[in-house]
Amino acid sequence: MTDATLNGTGGPARQGPRMRLRAWLGQERVFRWIPFVLVEGVFLLVIIIPFLLTIYISFLRWRANRPFEQAYLSGFRNYEQVLTNEGFWLSLGRTFYFAGAAVTFELIVGFLLAMAVHRVVRGRRIYITLFLIPMMLVPVVAGYNFSMIYLDSGPLNQLLSPITTALGFDPRIRWLSDPTAAQLAIIFADIWQWTSLTFLIFLSGFSALPPQLINAARIMGANRRQIFFWVELPLLKPAIVIAIVIRSMEALKMFDPIVMLTFGGPGTSTQTIAHYLWEQVWMFNKFSFGAAASVLVLIMFSVLIFTGIWLLIRQSDQVENQQLNTGSDR
Amino acid sequence: MAHAFRNTSALALIAALGIIGSAPVLAQEDPVAQRAIDGARAYMKKNNLEEVKLDVLLNSLYRNSFPDFAAEWKELTGVELVSEPLGYTDIPSKVMGESVAKTGAFDIFNDFPYTQPDAASAGVLKPLDEYAAKYKPDFSGIPDAFVAQQYYNGKQYSFVLDGDHIMLVLRKDIVENPAARAEFQAATGKELGCPATMADWEEQAKFFHTKAGETRWGITFEQPLYGAMGYRSVNFTHRHFPAYFGGLLFDADMNPKINTPQGIAAIKALSSIVQYMPEDIQGWGTPQIYPFWGSGQAYSVMSFPSIFGFGNANPDSKVKGNQLPCVIPATNAGGEPVRRAAEAAGTSYMVNAYSDHPELSYLFIQWLTSPSVGNRAIAHPKGFWDPFRTQNLGDAGIENKFSREFLEATLENAEFTTSLLYIEGHYEYMKILDNHLADVMNGNTTAEEAAEDIEDGWNDVTEDIGRDNQVRVWRQGVEAGLYVDKF
Repeated sequence: MTDATLNGTGGPARQGPRMRLRAWLGQERVFRWIPFVLVEGVFLLVIIIPFLLTIYISFLRWRANRPFEQAYLSGFRNYEQVLTNEGFWLSLGRTFYFAGAAVTFELIVGFLLAMAVHRVVRGRRIYITLFLIPMMLVPVVAGYNFSMIYLDSGPLNQLLSPITTALGFDPRIRWLSDPTAAQLAIIFADIWQWTSLTFLIFLSGFSALPPQLINAARIMGANRRQIFFWVELPLLKPAIVIAIVIRSMEALKMFDPIVMLTFGGPGTSTQTIAHYLWEQVWMFNKFSFGAAASVLVLIMFSVLIFTGIWLLIRQSDQVENQQLNTGSDR
Repeated sequence: MAHAFRNTSALALIAALGIIGSAPVLAQEDPVAQRAIDGARAYMKKNNLEEVKLDVLLNSLYRNSFPDFAAEWKELTGVELVSEPLGYTDIPSKVMGESVAKTGAFDIFNDFPYTQPDAASAGVLKPLDEYAAKYKPDFSGIPDAFVAQQYYNGKQYSFVLDGDHIMLVLRKDIVENPAARAEFQAATGKELGCPATMADWEEQAKFFHTKAGETRWGITFEQPLYGAMGYRSVNFTHRHFPAYFGGLLFDADMNPKINTPQGIAAIKALSSIVQYMPEDIQGWGTPQIYPFWGSGQAYSVMSFPSIFGFGNANPDSKVKGNQLPCVIPATNAGGEPVRRAAEAAGTSYMVNAYSDHPELSYLFIQWLTSPSVGNRAIAHPKGFWDPFRTQNLGDAGIENKFSREFLEATLENAEFTTSLLYIEGHYEYMKILDNHLADVMNGNTTAEEAAEDIEDGWNDVTEDIGRDNQVRVWRQGVEAGLYVDKF
């Protein structure tokens, strides 16, 4: 308890430092800045400063197997090394291949599941819960489960054996040690886990469809196919773009299934860019090389993601305009 | 069954307690351990310390055995050891992270010796020479390669307590089967037994590779019998390569010797035998290889020595008593046969340069790795320390755990132990090797092309780290006996 509170009146001269701080913070011109300063402070600490440090390190010549004090500026040498490194481009290409294949399937399957569940009347909640379970699993657990499923004597090969044997293939497919099969195994594991997310996004999109438009189309004689292609699908475009953007952002960072299933192998056949960066920095101690590679990847992915977001905004605007026009016509 | 299990567990517990319980007596008989204990007590007294906690970044393989020794050390000195178990793949990055952060969060690092060159150069490891001069550890009976692994760039940074040099184990019941022996001799003209060379091993693997449903030597194989097993997965293949190469990987000026007839032949030999291994071998690590060997579905396995203990001790093992330990087969290096058992992993103890109590940390390490306590560690029922020094041979606990036959083979094998690459950038050099070996095994490239690419990759790493430095420490290591071979 301070002197100021004891005498109950104490003017500024007699207030303790805590009370003076409280009074100062309570002023209107100061108080309104508090949330801004807190948020920006955190942003500065956890995003801006590390990001600036990454850029700074990317211009240094530094492996962590030498003390940081021995690092020196080397201009764009790291960037040059990254851009001429075959491993960087191969892992980047592989990342786009994995992400492209996985996200495409996730969108299609998620959309079909959402459409089916949206039309189901009985047991809808059970279906929704079931389809969301994979997404709720910790990726490490999912990865471990798949590592068991993919054993060459494991359940997947046993399940497939009637088909593979009939087709004349070796029923013991090397899911985790054959370069091509391992890539498919990674893609499938990602599809299994993250179709839940696209399902959820599309389901919310279906749920938000304005019934009056669909009823109006029906009254005007449109059949189910016409309603789907001419009314529902255009209105679902924002949900589709959201699903593409969110899943692509995540899939391009694919790391967990790689570590859990193949560790990038055999060789580097399943190494994604995230795993490549981790390896360069944390296994090979090439901090400045890794920083330069990270900055380049950030630039590349930002272009893609901002294009996606721009598409998203444009789609939203178009839908809003359509709805406004529909409203004004009425 | 449950009753038998309880009895076995109780016996194991009694044995473990007996080993631990006899500790103070044994320590007194071992001047190295006793000096460490006395040193720790004196350190505590001199610094007026009553309670000290030392944090150990522990290889998680030792989470069930290390605490017994930590408890004993606390009883002897009052120093508490708090272990933080972590998977061995994650430890190097934690150590290197500490070199940047300099927190002193860990006092002792426990990892493969191969982390040491990078960590020592980064300044995160405390040189131990000053303490070693004061407390006088004993490295007698330890093969040169293991002794040399404790040093880097002329300074001591660690203590080793593990012989992870790869060896070959065969199925004794098949080797001793008269019909199999006769048939093998008729087919090859050779006596069946531990193969003399890698080529002989592949010949045996080919001969014994048996499809499911076949009947041979009066045995019907319901499951296939694979001719061979070995580590061929990512981050593991390279650990077997020196056994096939049989020499120094670089010349005195750090020019790679991989792109030579010797290197190409080694790549081919390592890849060729894969055809007799389980189809999925490139995806297998220890968790798959050990149980598969225990299931009796392979004729031979090249692995860490502990696979022999696993085969004998695992309750579900079908190879118990049916294992024949062999010294590593020779490879034809430049026209003459040489045996090289690569130290594929290993267990080292290092002191953090930023520890508040580096001397105290050192003293614990000296005590743990001393001849008497080290023997008890290797004999620990739940430990993964493998025999590696001559003193292990006469120890009853170790003989009881591993068998005399195995001990003799593994200690003979230890004499051929060669280190992997013990210079800065170890993991990068070895990953380049690993990736290209995988490509050859998968038929994506030829041994000749791979050798050329590996040579280029290794040269890039050497230039990137600094050729002068690499040449200097490489020469030092060769001279110190890290690799058996000399220039």
